[in-house]
Amino acid sequence: MKILIIEDENDLADSISEYLSEEKYLCEFAKTFNQALDKIESFNYDCILLDIMLPDGNGMNILEELKRQDKQDGVIIISAKNALDDKIKGLQIGADDYLTKPFHLSELSARIYSVIRRKQFGNSNTVRQNELEIDLLAKTISVHNHPVILTKKEFDLLLYFVGNKNRVISKSTLAEHLSGDFADMLDNHDFVYAHIKNLKKKLSEAGCESYLKTVYGTGYKWEG
Amino acid sequence: MGRMNRLLNKSLKSFTIYALIVLAASVPAYLYLVDSIWLRELDEHNEIVADRTENELNKLQLSETELNQSIVLWNKIQPGTNLQKTTLEKNRKDSTYTVSRKNPYVTHEDIDRFRGLSRVIEINGENYLLTLETNVEETEETVVAIAILTFLFFLILVVGFLILNRRLSVKLWQPFKNTLAKLKAFNLNSQSNISFEKSNIIEFEELNVALNKLIEHTVSVYKSQKEFTENASHELQTPLAIIKNKLDILLQKETLTDRQYQIIEDINNALTRVSRINKNLLLLAKIENHQFDDNETINLAELTIQCLEQLQEHFLNKELSVKTNIEKDFSITGNKMLIEILINNLLLNSIRHNSQKGTVEVKLNSSGFIISNSGNIALDKEHLFKRFKKTSNENSGSGLGLAIVEQICKRHHWTITYEFQQETHILKISF
Repeated sequence: MKILIIEDENDLADSISEYLSEEKYLCEFAKTFNQALDKIESFNYDCILLDIMLPDGNGMNILEELKRQDKQDGVIIISAKNALDDKIKGLQIGADDYLTKPFHLSELSARIYSVIRRKQFGNSNTVRQNELEIDLLAKTISVHNHPVILTKKEFDLLLYFVGNKNRVISKSTLAEHLSGDFADMLDNHDFVYAHIKNLKKKLSEAGCESYLKTVYGTGYKWEG
Repeated sequence: MGRMNRLLNKSLKSFTIYALIVLAASVPAYLYLVDSIWLRELDEHNEIVADRTENELNKLQLSETELNQSIVLWNKIQPGTNLQKTTLEKNRKDSTYTVSRKNPYVTHEDIDRFRGLSRVIEINGENYLLTLETNVEETEETVVAIAILTFLFFLILVVGFLILNRRLSVKLWQPFKNTLAKLKAFNLNSQSNISFEKSNIIEFEELNVALNKLIEHTVSVYKSQKEFTENASHELQTPLAIIKNKLDILLQKETLTDRQYQIIEDINNALTRVSRINKNLLLLAKIENHQFDDNETINLAELTIQCLEQLQEHFLNKELSVKTNIEKDFSITGNKMLIEILINNLLLNSIRHNSQKGTVEVKLNSSGFIISNSGNIALDKEHLFKRFKKTSNENSGSGLGLAIVEQICKRHHWTITYEFQQETHILKISF
């Protein structure tokens, strides 16, 4: 899997690439608008991470260029701006997702996973891990071919873990993922624990191996 | 603040007092002047009479007995005049005097004042002392007349001042009032500049110039402060993102101990708070910069229910009992994103500042939007909506939640009030 990171901030690009290369993604960099244009013209990527604020141009134009060239690369916009207009415009021009800085790498990884799955597996988008089968399109799961009913949040969590296999994900990260903008406004993150407990219970009751491990007391890791 | 006075009334008062003093001082001056003119004229008159008497009597060439008879007769029929033999020298200096005497011809008490002249005249070679007295206006009467006249002039002056004052205050102060009206209407936030009308009066023009300078400076400071907030917030996003990502990577190290994991988690939590403060500051700056449209029609009832549902697990988590009384399909005009933030902030506050198993009540109808929750102590009304003013000792918030709520209300021209009644915090937004 090839990923293009269009980001002028070296530290950020390095961290992203370090995290993603563990997932067997191959990362390439473009630090300027022109470099990015060169790269997208010459190669195809499974996913492009696009910072729309580049020193020598607006990332939106790269998006337009991709569309003009009829490229099928998945695009996730990463922006320091949380402007709704930008978000809507970006998604309209053809971006697949929009992420506001600062974000967790696990969040990025889960989104990349979803974008790539959606782009490449289209209509039969199912992930299988031994007895566990996840239908990303229908948002359902089954264990040993028996459907297991999950709440929206539980399914969301499961997908997050699958998109971050063998990674340690902390409780605060999950809280941010689940409650979005206002995680820090809540007194405690116990609600994360409640969802995870329910998810674990449903999976094990259906006869699924316990792939979800607790680490360091309050961290989690999906093994697979 | 003490009693307020108009500026012109102040000067009017001073002018009136000054006029009163001057006019009052003029009374004795006039009196002295009139009296001395009177006396001089009467002295002259008496001298003329004396000269004539001397001449006429000498012209008559009377014999001594005839003269003596005439003098007796003269003294009888001419009261106030006296002629009698004297041993005084002819070249003695005339003497003048003023005397007050009862009038013998009227029944009521009346004192008259007389001006007298006594002179030695020579008739038929003998020296006689002639005394002449002429009635003079009494001082008291003159004083009264002058005082009445002066008072009349004083009244005319004051009435004139009042009328002039009224006219002038309208005309003279017009440029000032124009300037004042513009200043009152000026709003720093509206991002419009102020332009004062030109005035040909030096003082007002100077005022306008000074005000213009002040406003220009204020506007530019205000602008740069807002820009600073916005730029600083933007610039902070990237380093924050770097820290966050580095922590994510650190978290994957296999040699990590539980203690180290906990430290990373603590940093993560603090970092989330910083990001939140940063985002909220940016949001505030944007609201203040009017970067949001507000012409959407929003089904507030539906939006509120949606927000309640999203937060339901947190209500459950704290075992809060939620009562709702929401008028179906109640709609308003505004910016959806901002209103959603407003509802969420208020609801989250009702969760955070609540006790376990407390209550939350949400009411919505045309009279307003009320969110109330159980609590122990009243919060400080004055600082509640201020930025970074912690009104409780719970410190996980960004300190900006209610400041944002207030800004959003302002933006939509709503008012928000806080009450604490019967162990309940009540926040009410009136549309």
